[in-house]
Amino acid sequence: MTDEMLRAPAEVKYADELDWLESVDDGPKPFSWRLSPRMVRLFVLGSERSDGLDREIKQKWFGDRSFVERAIVTLASDRGLLLIGDPGTGKSWLAELLSAAISRNSTLVVQGTAGTTEDHIKYSWNVSMVIAKGQSRESMIPSPIMTAMEQGVIGRFEELTRSTSDVQDALISILSEKYVSIPELDDDNVVFAKPGFSIIATANSRDRGVNDLSSALKRRFNFVRIPVVTNKKSEAEIVRFRTTELLRRHRIELDVPPTLLDILLQSFADLRAASESASSDDERLESALSTAEQIGVLEDAILHSHFFGDRTLRAQTLAGSLVGSLARRSPEDLAILNKYWHGVVEPRSKKDGGQWPDFLEGGRQAIATLS
Amino acid sequence: MSSPGAVEGPFAALREQLLDAAAAFAGAPASLSEILAGLVDDVDRALREQLEIFPVCHHSPASALAMARRLREKRPEVVYLELCEDLRPLLDELRNCRLPVALQAFATELDGFPAGSGPLSVVAPITEASAEYQVIAYALETPGVELVLVDRSADHVFQWLDKDEQPVIQADSEHGEDAALHGDAVGIEIGDLRPRFAELEAHLLHHGKVRHWSEWWDQYVERPLLDADHDTYRQVMVLIGSLFRRLAPERGDRLARDEERERHMWTRIREHLSTSGADPGRCMYVCGAFHAASRVEEFGLAGSDTYAVTPRTGTRWLYGLIPSSHSAIEAQFGLASGSVSIAAATWAKAVSRGGARPYRLEGQQSKAKPKKAAGPGLAAPGPVADRLSGFLSKPPELGGLDEDELLGWCVDLVRLARRNGYLSSTADAIAVYETSILLAGMRDRARPTPYDFQDAAVTCIEKDVVPGRRDVRHLCEILLGGDRIGQVGYASMPPLARDVYDRLEPLGLDLHKRTVQRALMNLDADPHLAPCSHLLWMLRYLLPDGAVRPIMGTRRLGERSIQESWDLSLGQHQRSLIELGYEGVTVEQVLERRLRRAVWHPRATAATALEAVEDSIVFLGSRRFTDELGARAVELLSAERTVDDAPEVLRRMRRLLAHFRAAEPELPAWCEAFVTTGYAHYCTLLPTAFVAEDTGVRQVGAMLGFLFSMEGLALSLGCDRAQLELAVQQSHPQAPAKVALLWAAQSQLGLLPLAALRERCDELLANPLVVPSFPLYISGFVQALESVPALTPFVVEVISKAFGRLPDAVLLPWLPKLITTLRDQARELVPVLVREAGRTFPAGLVELDAWVPPWERRAAAPAAAGGPGAAASGPVAELLRAHPDTCDAVAALLGCAGGWQADEPPAYAEAVALLARHPETALAVAALVAPTG
Repeated sequence: MTDEMLRAPAEVKYADELDWLESVDDGPKPFSWRLSPRMVRLFVLGSERSDGLDREIKQKWFGDRSFVERAIVTLASDRGLLLIGDPGTGKSWLAELLSAAISRNSTLVVQGTAGTTEDHIKYSWNVSMVIAKGQSRESMIPSPIMTAMEQGVIGRFEELTRSTSDVQDALISILSEKYVSIPELDDDNVVFAKPGFSIIATANSRDRGVNDLSSALKRRFNFVRIPVVTNKKSEAEIVRFRTTELLRRHRIELDVPPTLLDILLQSFADLRAASESASSDDERLESALSTAEQIGVLEDAILHSHFFGDRTLRAQTLAGSLVGSLARRSPEDLAILNKYWHGVVEPRSKKDGGQWPDFLEGGRQAIATLS
Repeated sequence: MSSPGAVEGPFAALREQLLDAAAAFAGAPASLSEILAGLVDDVDRALREQLEIFPVCHHSPASALAMARRLREKRPEVVYLELCEDLRPLLDELRNCRLPVALQAFATELDGFPAGSGPLSVVAPITEASAEYQVIAYALETPGVELVLVDRSADHVFQWLDKDEQPVIQADSEHGEDAALHGDAVGIEIGDLRPRFAELEAHLLHHGKVRHWSEWWDQYVERPLLDADHDTYRQVMVLIGSLFRRLAPERGDRLARDEERERHMWTRIREHLSTSGADPGRCMYVCGAFHAASRVEEFGLAGSDTYAVTPRTGTRWLYGLIPSSHSAIEAQFGLASGSVSIAAATWAKAVSRGGARPYRLEGQQSKAKPKKAAGPGLAAPGPVADRLSGFLSKPPELGGLDEDELLGWCVDLVRLARRNGYLSSTADAIAVYETSILLAGMRDRARPTPYDFQDAAVTCIEKDVVPGRRDVRHLCEILLGGDRIGQVGYASMPPLARDVYDRLEPLGLDLHKRTVQRALMNLDADPHLAPCSHLLWMLRYLLPDGAVRPIMGTRRLGERSIQESWDLSLGQHQRSLIELGYEGVTVEQVLERRLRRAVWHPRATAATALEAVEDSIVFLGSRRFTDELGARAVELLSAERTVDDAPEVLRRMRRLLAHFRAAEPELPAWCEAFVTTGYAHYCTLLPTAFVAEDTGVRQVGAMLGFLFSMEGLALSLGCDRAQLELAVQQSHPQAPAKVALLWAAQSQLGLLPLAALRERCDELLANPLVVPSFPLYISGFVQALESVPALTPFVVEVISKAFGRLPDAVLLPWLPKLITTLRDQARELVPVLVREAGRTFPAGLVELDAWVPPWERRAAAPAAAGGPGAAASGPVAELLRAHPDTCDAVAALLGCAGGWQADEPPAYAEAVALLARHPETALAVAALVAPTG
């Protein structure tokens, strides 16, 4: 099944692991959870020798252990979970992993946009069936959230703050009363949530102020803030993990030299430091410089070398992708990159050598092309 | 390093077991078995020692409890404590303080340390929930008990300190605003116990599933040991000390330093024992667990006596107590935020549960009631039995919060959160309770710990923004005991601090409080408050910002406020005040020393010296001292080779002269010397300053200002104007602004008439090649206003002409620059210019049409009166000629030779004769010109 999908959801991709964990799990499970909280943590954060398992479970999400624990515990409690953080910090990935581990279904997702309506959260009607047979449970189209309620599993709401406030507030009654009433029907007109139902929402902290959550809704969510990964070691781990996955998906056999990975991480670290110290938005790159962005740069470089290059990842290509991905505004972003290239990369290529001179050259060419 | 006799000792079974384990787990058992067996050997060795070694860990309630129990049981006569030996006299002062406070050794006058590395400061914070406090309280409260500090002195701390190891402690967001209470002192603590390998610590944290070392310690050592008996406690602590010691980087400087300290301590102990003749069986040695597992040769009463204590440097150390706080301790020693507060809460709980009867110092400021220290007699040392095996084979006993306590915390936290702006409710209390239990379950704990509670509270209550000043994590810390801030009692303060409190007493405020106190003073109505006001101004000069802050009132040369209001927070800045006390006995003395130090500093300049003079007049009012500083200012001025400070010197000197002229019958001698020296000095430097590129226009302007405005005084004191004229003549500047300055100077000296100056400017404006640089000339003229105020109308004229005639391409880019230059460099000259411009330009629109600039009017006037010179004719001449006696007498008096001009006919007599002969033409012209006449 995995082979036929461009991107398999976590429960499909890690089906083996989940089956196995379920078979060895003897801990207490809340509600209808498929795994106990400890096993969920183990699935997300990976196993260690001290866990005494026969099989190694790979780490899938990289970040502070306490975030995961707090998230799991929230789902076992009465409240919804809101993961909040900068773009590219792995909120959605964590949400997907949690729902896959807890309810083996991470696809009950509502995507919050400016066009999301209350129907997307509750239910809508199959118009032709309503005309043919009238309003009934049959002609009703339940939303993913309602489906999650009926099945007692985790429903997901992506980018909660992108949808308008009145739509958000439809969640209030779902989260407190745990049922949805369907006034159009005369009987069987209440859908009650089964035990195990909960909601994982994600929100982008950069969108703050667009559609602020009401205090009533805030109260029904526990907030877990996911910070940008700045620890170089775990960042390298994440980039390697995700890139391997992407390469497998594209069926590309290509080596990412560790020196180039270092260069990529170092440049992002430098640019982040520069952004931190910048005093105005014009002196700051528009990009959030998240880990996801790094993965994007690397993927771009890999694809480029694979299809247009000599199937070896080179520093020039990497530099080109980096400039191409980060230069969004002209001239502001280009000016910052130009400054970075001449103020930091150039001295470093003289001092450290290695792949840096090629990186310098590639970046220069890319900036020149874009300017 | 296993001792030969140990194989048969009580730990033989444990050793055997560990060696088997090592063989089973490690492929090559050599190193692992050595470590494991070594651990047991270390424990064995420490426990066999004749002098009882009591291992402790810092800020550990378990240590404190075990210590209190042991002291009551054994009642030792001599206690040796791991603490700088020179801090001993301070311990008696602890009675007057509210803990936590820090013992401090402080040195500013360095001798033997690199210059510029001072001030040196060492702090050793003491909290109530610590074993060392129990020892100190026991020793000081029990008659006949001697407390001997055996660690290296504060001087050695710095001698042995790595250069790159100087800690910088700053208040950061994590530790709150009170974290900087210790300043940048080097912290020392009794019983530093933490893995020395970062990897080991990371490993322990990872497997303990905790985030911070303090949390690990609390869970795996602290709580299981809280109720342990003496033997178990001692063995476990030595074991941990030994573990960290054996897993420490071998060649580390830190280990070498620790071993050096251990040699020092054992040497001192043996010295004391041999001189006092005390019975080792009735003594006790309290040290960090790390040192209990020491393997230096000097270890033990039977250790070698080869160590010689190195001498101290010549640095003079001062000692005192400063207030400390839990957050300051956490920041200083890298503990988890809130951990010291949690330790304090654990201690209080254990004490109230009856775990031990603690010792307290009599007179200690605290809310808790002191308990009488009395107990049963000496406990005989029992044979050493193996308690380790039992401890190590049992899983940690996970004590935690009991249900009622957790419920209470949840409710209190929600209340606290509401008070801090969170929209939390009872539902949140329930959620926090539930989440704490779930989190504890997930982390393999039977009951939630305070750390779980904290995490749960953050999860449930913290939303996307923090509404008030404190976030939930901080609120939890407050709830768990809060950051406690110590206070040094009045009696333990240095004389200066006591003096300050005494002298501020008339204000009627409780200055020991940590809140900001507002002092209102009406100095006319309450003249007795004037000394307080004076002292406050001095404190404001000496203490950091915020300690005392004037809200209303100023104190400057020649100014005095009638009413003053102050914000005083001396309670919060007690450390600064105490450290000020190390510098002198009274505030005046410290101020005098600071001012003197400022003027004798290698980088002192005449301007700084004049500033010190000003300060000394304002704050101290001692003529002798002011004269001394003034004399130094003269010295500094004559030694100066640059004129960078000229504007500052001019400003300050003018102010001082004005002050002395108003307040004193005559100028002080140094003032006169300063003026004459300055006159000669600036004259000498003037030609160089005019051409030097790195000397600005402002500086040259200020030099000229000094020369011209103090010329009268300088000439009266014997200076020669020719010197100035020569200096001006020698000056040949190239830069336009300086050229303008030179012209202004020449005009002031009468070397260049105004008309010529105007002509030069007009030429410049007419010359298209130099027009772009004309603005520079103007800035030069503006700077010249300081020295040649008479030139103001001319400057207005030049600016006006520039506005009128400069092409837009030059004028427009220059305008903003003119404004910024005026604002930055000639702020005080702007009003002069504006006033003059107001006089020159018309005030209303109506007059504007008919307005002719005064300079053009002046130019037109001579042309109108351009007739022949005044002739000696007319009624006056005729009168004088008719009565010549008066003029003759005056001429004789004045010695004027020569007589009257002959009344000869005018030079044009022929023309007159011709006209008289033929009057018709003239009459016809007259009729034509004046038809009415």
